[in-house]
Amino acid sequence: MLLFLDMAADWKRSVLILVAGASLGLVWNAGSGRGFALGQSVLVQTGDELIPPRDGKRLLDAGALFLDARPSDFWRMSRIPGALSLPEEDFERSFREAEPRLRRASAIVVYCSGYGCEASHLVARKLRERGIAAAILDEGLPAWQDAGLPLDSEPRS
Amino acid sequence: MRALLAHPRTQLALRLLLGAVFVYASLPKIANPAGFAKAVYQWQVGGPVASNVVAVTLPWIELIAGLLLIVGAWKRAAALVTAFLLVVFLAGAASVMARGIDVENCGCVSVEANAAPSAWPPIWMRGVGWFLVTRNLLLLAAALSIVRSRARLPLLDANERPAGPLPEATSSGGA
Repeated sequence: MLLFLDMAADWKRSVLILVAGASLGLVWNAGSGRGFALGQSVLVQTGDELIPPRDGKRLLDAGALFLDARPSDFWRMSRIPGALSLPEEDFERSFREAEPRLRRASAIVVYCSGYGCEASHLVARKLRERGIAAAILDEGLPAWQDAGLPLDSEPRS
Repeated sequence: MRALLAHPRTQLALRLLLGAVFVYASLPKIANPAGFAKAVYQWQVGGPVASNVVAVTLPWIELIAGLLLIVGAWKRAAALVTAFLLVVFLAGAASVMARGIDVENCGCVSVEANAAPSAWPPIWMRGVGWFLVTRNLLLLAAALSIVRSRARLPLLDANERPAGPLPEATSSGGA
């Protein structure tokens, strides 16, 4: 304990290292050409349409088709009510099976397991490439649950 | 054991090792901040904006602390910073493991997502698990040893050399 009290100069230098490192990082991000906007997820690209959970629920009530982009095992455990499984890792096969329904849908919302999950973005872009518009549920299933919105936890085979 | 840890050559080795690890870990993140941000998102702590700030600033803190450890300037301060970071990483890993989140790549030393199973580092070293916890505990022990030690070697340590004759290695004591 006395050791750490006796290290005032080292503590100050530590703070200086933290401040200098953070400052350099911010400058590098702003000026290096490798940086990105800090105010939004780096997963969001031009053309991506994000919708918050409450708007998603309104679309669900209006008959929108929800797509679960997580691996199908997760969909089997729980899902947004009525959601289809369209896992990003098995997109081509799942898309072929679901294509007629996707093309008939009035609106489509894709989701996955949170703001760290890229699968919903990738699935929405692949659908867009095939001429099907799809919105992305912002921050995915955890945000949906945090908003107190319903989840279907009936196990599926 | 204490005497061995406090020996100047042991301290030099620990300092160079810890510094090299932090410099090595920082470079891919500095080169690819967006890739590192995606890795930070997988920890699911604090939301995307806070994760972005961490992704942008953390690698430079690692780089400066690592370089200072290697050159031997402000070594105890740099070791304090690395110890602080390692405690934060350990707390984050504990949180991820407790929540059962599967983090494919912790972003610790590589930011490449969806790397092939054969890629280096292997999958069991990339994720958040007991390997990461053990490695960080060992690095934390090295950092704390540097913080506690007054041992000095003339090599690479000139800026902190005392005015008098070089002291012999001492067991741990006040810094």
